[in-house]
Amino acid sequence: MSKPEKLIVDGKRLDGRGPNDLRPIKFQAGVLKRADGSCYLEFGGNKVMAAVYGPREVHPRHLQQASNAIVRYRYNMASFSVEERKRPGPDRRSIEISKVSREALESVVLKELYPRSAIDVFVEILQADAGTRVAGINAASVALADAGIPMRCLVSACAVGKADDMLVLDLNKDEDNYGQADLPIAINQFGEVTLCQMDGHLTTDEFSTALEMAVEGCKKLHELQKQALIEKYAREVAPAAPEISTGGETSE
Amino acid sequence: MSEDVIAEIKRDYIYSLANQGDRADGRKFDEFRPITVETGVINKAEGSARVKIGDSQVVVGIKIQPGEPFPDTPDSGVIITNLELVPLASPTFESGPPREDAIELARVVDRGVRESGAIDLSKLCIESGQKVWMVFIDVHVLDHDGNLIDASSLGAIAALKSARLPNARFGLGEDAKLPLNDVPIGVTAVNIGGAIMLDPSLDEESVAPCKLTVITNKEGAISGMQKSGVGTLTPDQINQIVRTAKDKANVLREKLEGTQ
Amino acid sequence: MAEKELVVPGDILGEDPKLASHGTYVQDGKVYAASFGLVDRRSNIKVIPLSGRYIPARGDLVIGKVVDVTHSNWIADINSPYEGLLHVSEYPERVDQNNMSKYLHVGELIIAKVADVDPSMKVELTLREEHLRILKEGRVIEISHVKIPRVIGRNGSMIKMLMKDLDCSIFVGQNGRIWVKGSDRNVDIAIRTIFKIEREAHTSGLTDKIKDYLKNELEVMRNQNE
Repeated sequence: MSKPEKLIVDGKRLDGRGPNDLRPIKFQAGVLKRADGSCYLEFGGNKVMAAVYGPREVHPRHLQQASNAIVRYRYNMASFSVEERKRPGPDRRSIEISKVSREALESVVLKELYPRSAIDVFVEILQADAGTRVAGINAASVALADAGIPMRCLVSACAVGKADDMLVLDLNKDEDNYGQADLPIAINQFGEVTLCQMDGHLTTDEFSTALEMAVEGCKKLHELQKQALIEKYAREVAPAAPEISTGGETSE
Repeated sequence: MSEDVIAEIKRDYIYSLANQGDRADGRKFDEFRPITVETGVINKAEGSARVKIGDSQVVVGIKIQPGEPFPDTPDSGVIITNLELVPLASPTFESGPPREDAIELARVVDRGVRESGAIDLSKLCIESGQKVWMVFIDVHVLDHDGNLIDASSLGAIAALKSARLPNARFGLGEDAKLPLNDVPIGVTAVNIGGAIMLDPSLDEESVAPCKLTVITNKEGAISGMQKSGVGTLTPDQINQIVRTAKDKANVLREKLEGTQ
Repeated sequence: MAEKELVVPGDILGEDPKLASHGTYVQDGKVYAASFGLVDRRSNIKVIPLSGRYIPARGDLVIGKVVDVTHSNWIADINSPYEGLLHVSEYPERVDQNNMSKYLHVGELIIAKVADVDPSMKVELTLREEHLRILKEGRVIEISHVKIPRVIGRNGSMIKMLMKDLDCSIFVGQNGRIWVKGSDRNVDIAIRTIFKIEREAHTSGLTDKIKDYLKNELEVMRNQNE
């Protein structure tokens, strides 16, 4: 893939978006049978599956904590998720992402309610398209709520960057690869920043503006996360599919 | 983990049902759970499929990239199959390198594809002795509700059917379909108290002493088999399973007709 | 039944911290939802979660599955992040500790009472009460424990209806496990009905719907027998 000549043309990004536009987003909560909570998310070209098991027994035992649950987070990319096949297994990048993502969510989980247990969060990136870590955190937040894990609030995340000297929200692949800065941020509804990383070059003013853009982006994501949970409930309340019984059909 | 301990009354129930010719979910012995196959689900991969058998769910991605051939087969492409039992798919799966069950699953899926000659490796040569196409079959299990092997092998062949050689990206001309010669299909059976049942559910798999997977090709010849588990089977039972698997494979093959 | 309001973690529920109850938390003098669930404002403010694992409380009656045996305890999986410990002294007869498995072995199911839960979540079970026992027959199913109150019904009305109409013995564990015993066909109907209650727990008029469903199922069965 060669570098495009310009990333911003006439104030519009290569994918047609304005600087404050998020890519198309679709959340679906409660999609897996075995997991306690789950969420499938499509965020631009990202396809992410998040699942939560917990609270559950801690294995190995020695990792238990006497007065609260431990929170574990595993970010993993499927081999086929990227252009050049990725060897399976954690690499240094996934381990770092797992750590900061866990920290982003751990700050809101009410861990003290479940001593000596583990809350395990798993995020599988099935298809990657820039911004996988923030997509993971968004999906994981919904999966945690779906699992009934008590939290102070949901956590929403998005990345702000700089392309051709313009600050842009929610980087696409080209902006991520060839842009001048990448700032993934997670913020919750109380305005607490739970994830903050930066690569590249930003002046302090630019940073300040970027942070504001992230706050707005996260607000929009929060609405979508909430919607996904409400929709899942609506599916449960909606009249059931026709009964399959020993021959009779019940009318609802 | 206590997941591995089956309640005795549950085991007794499944066995007594089998004795009467019934299964816990009401299926006939040779009936599969509802199957859905979708291809083209991961556009970045050269081929992909998502398969559900009941609530078991797998996503298979095919990545095709140029690479070096093996020294003893300088003109042949290479197939590499891997399977991940990622922890989100089941409370019993742990993070870490593949354990024996994941490795066994991957190798059985591989056997079916390789031994049936489904992929003609001689057609995957780019430059003799230097460059050939490497076909990576990566199975990502997302939800484990029994019979992952059939879901994975069905997913693999469905993904391969939809795969294309990415010639354009490597300056080798236009993209082309991955040439496939055959459509191997795996069918798995368990023996519960003498009763042979296809497509075991999670519970049936847990109480059965062993299972047998039979992979057959378009002509109905066997291209792969695997008995898994400590229990035993008689030659008659094995022959019966082979016959049933061959018939069932034709039905499953039809399910793939609709896909790319 | 008034429409219950659906909330997600972080939704603000009220301004009086004194009313904060289960499923909520207090921050800066305000009451917020901690769980994804339905708000109940009848007496205080609580959120009834739609999902979540069973957490044992003293007095709960549960169905446990024995998963390990030590010299002085049986260890039971009670469908919770916390396992239940049944000490030899809580077994209804004298036990020869050299042969623990003779009295209760791995894979057996028991109806036990949660005698105590200490702050570190050590759960002690007992079998030393009237209706507690080892389950030798029947079938056990598992549903989400949050739906158990619906299966029981107000004053036990739902479960009593099932037992009477299907002539079955049914025991409902607080931990989401339910035991049913009766004729094969009726047990099938009972189990299908319980899963139906679980699926439709949030719909209104459920008791009547289930009553109709049972009537229908029994009629279908009678017709098949003719």
